[in-house]
Amino acid sequence: MHPIDWTIIAVYLSWIVWDGLRLTKRSHELEGYFLASRSLPWWAVGLSVMATQLSAITMIGTTGQGYEDGMRFLQFYYALPLAMIVLSVTLVPFFHNARVFTAYEFLEQRFDAKTRAFTSLLFLFSRSMSLGVVISAPAVVLAVVLNISVTNTALLIALPTAVYTMFGGVQAVTWTDVKQVVLIVFGLIAAIVVLVLGLPGEVSVPQALRIAGATGRLQTFDFSFDLTNQYTFWSGTIAAFFLFCSYFGTDQSQVQRYLAAKSVSAARSSLMMSAYWKIPLQALVLLVGVFMFLFYLFTPAPMLFNAVHDRELREGPRAAEYGTLEGRFVTANEARRRAGLELADADASGDAARLTAAGSAFAAREAEVRSIRGEALSLVREATGDESYNDVNYVFPTFILTQMPVGLIGLLIAAIFAAAMSTISAEMASLSTATVIDFYRRFAKGYATDRHYLWVSRLATGFWGLFASGVAIWAAELGSLIEVVNRFGSFFYGSILGVFVLAVGFRHTTANGAFLGLLAGMGAVAWAASFTGVAFLWHNVIGAVVVVIVGLTVSAVEGLGRRVSGVGS
Amino acid sequence: MTTEINARQNYARVLILWVAVLVGLYAFQEYFS
Repeated sequence: MHPIDWTIIAVYLSWIVWDGLRLTKRSHELEGYFLASRSLPWWAVGLSVMATQLSAITMIGTTGQGYEDGMRFLQFYYALPLAMIVLSVTLVPFFHNARVFTAYEFLEQRFDAKTRAFTSLLFLFSRSMSLGVVISAPAVVLAVVLNISVTNTALLIALPTAVYTMFGGVQAVTWTDVKQVVLIVFGLIAAIVVLVLGLPGEVSVPQALRIAGATGRLQTFDFSFDLTNQYTFWSGTIAAFFLFCSYFGTDQSQVQRYLAAKSVSAARSSLMMSAYWKIPLQALVLLVGVFMFLFYLFTPAPMLFNAVHDRELREGPRAAEYGTLEGRFVTANEARRRAGLELADADASGDAARLTAAGSAFAAREAEVRSIRGEALSLVREATGDESYNDVNYVFPTFILTQMPVGLIGLLIAAIFAAAMSTISAEMASLSTATVIDFYRRFAKGYATDRHYLWVSRLATGFWGLFASGVAIWAAELGSLIEVVNRFGSFFYGSILGVFVLAVGFRHTTANGAFLGLLAGMGAVAWAASFTGVAFLWHNVIGAVVVVIVGLTVSAVEGLGRRVSGVGS
Repeated sequence: MTTEINARQNYARVLILWVAVLVGLYAFQEYFS
């Protein structure tokens, strides 16, 4: 990488830390530190919410998914605007009027301390683990493309973020998020421009899109009703609706954002920003992937995007096999390029029969290229022993480093850092808030000065920053264990939503009803995950529905018991 | 009261735009497939 690009990354990292630290002076009491004194404008909160969701995994993983699989993943977000409306009407005013610091604090006001402590504990466990993954996933990829160690990239992401979050609190998190999301969107648009300019002169953008369409990469609707398929219209609108209600309505990393808004109205408007912009933004991310596919259709593409594995196979004992495969890949790629040009030409001619024939021919050539790439990936799986290996996460970083002009390379890598940092800063702040408010202040030291709590809060933020860095650095070794932990995290998303539905929607629900309902919901999801092939999005529906049914039943039985004993006495 | 009306108008706008975006995406998919 050119020194100019390294300079841009260094300037970005220094500037973002300075920008966050200068907000320290506005965080001298607990409410200022955790909730920015409930003073933030709606647009800053809205951009911060969007920045938190737009992680580095989105930047590198989702663009790679767009490259390999097209825009199907967009269906996952179709329910988001509906969830935002429902939350704005229901949970947001409850949280604001309750003047709470955490979503779980509200559960103690409504039910009891054990429900609050248990839900908060589940949040701490799952979020701290996912924080490690959010750091490690880009750290592993950036280590390969920048040719530095994973430890260094993980620390480059985590430590600056921990520093400004520790001292600046939610003020720093929000205002750095605002700048980071601008950088990310600018980077994505710059990538699209470079990709479009990289298409051959004889292929227009509509013709290129016709080629992508012929491979099914522009498919954004799948109306088949299949509970085992993650990305269909129905899972995206029904099951994901429960996930988004749970994520935006009960996850402290999101709730904390709009609790910092200066009014209920501002909090609602901030959620509406996601309702308006999330689907277009996600479409933009996936389109980057689709245009990378089109770009590499006409520009020689590497067979493997992970340069380390490419080198290892080239120099290893199976070099001859790999070389033969690469020869076939080059030939198939060239045939696919010619078929692509023919398809573009057929599209321009307006001849429907020729267009259909060219579309079929292109799809066949594309299938051949995919098959050879699949064989190459299998070679890596055999060589590394990692059976789930895929190199889609390396497509976008490789494109940036090998095809973008000097200056933009640094900017795009900085945008990936920004995406990671904007997510982990919010998560560190929320972990610290739950630790201090739901446990330390609630169970350990109920009465102390604001100065004391602020000091403990900063220590808690620092602790979670170090903990996440540790998880991130060891994540590569832990591998499947981390996956298991995250799977476990998905067991209770829907169930926690069920508890909040009981809290807000059913005033006769008892504390025991809510708690036992929560346990039953988690059990039901664990059963569904272990013994059925139902896709994980539907686990949220199962969890929420079981919690509500069991919670209402237990509450009704308790109520009946009280009435009977009341009559008897 | 005015805030409530504004909020409802905002929700209605989101719903209308949501339908428009989905219809647009479907048309995009069909046109280029």
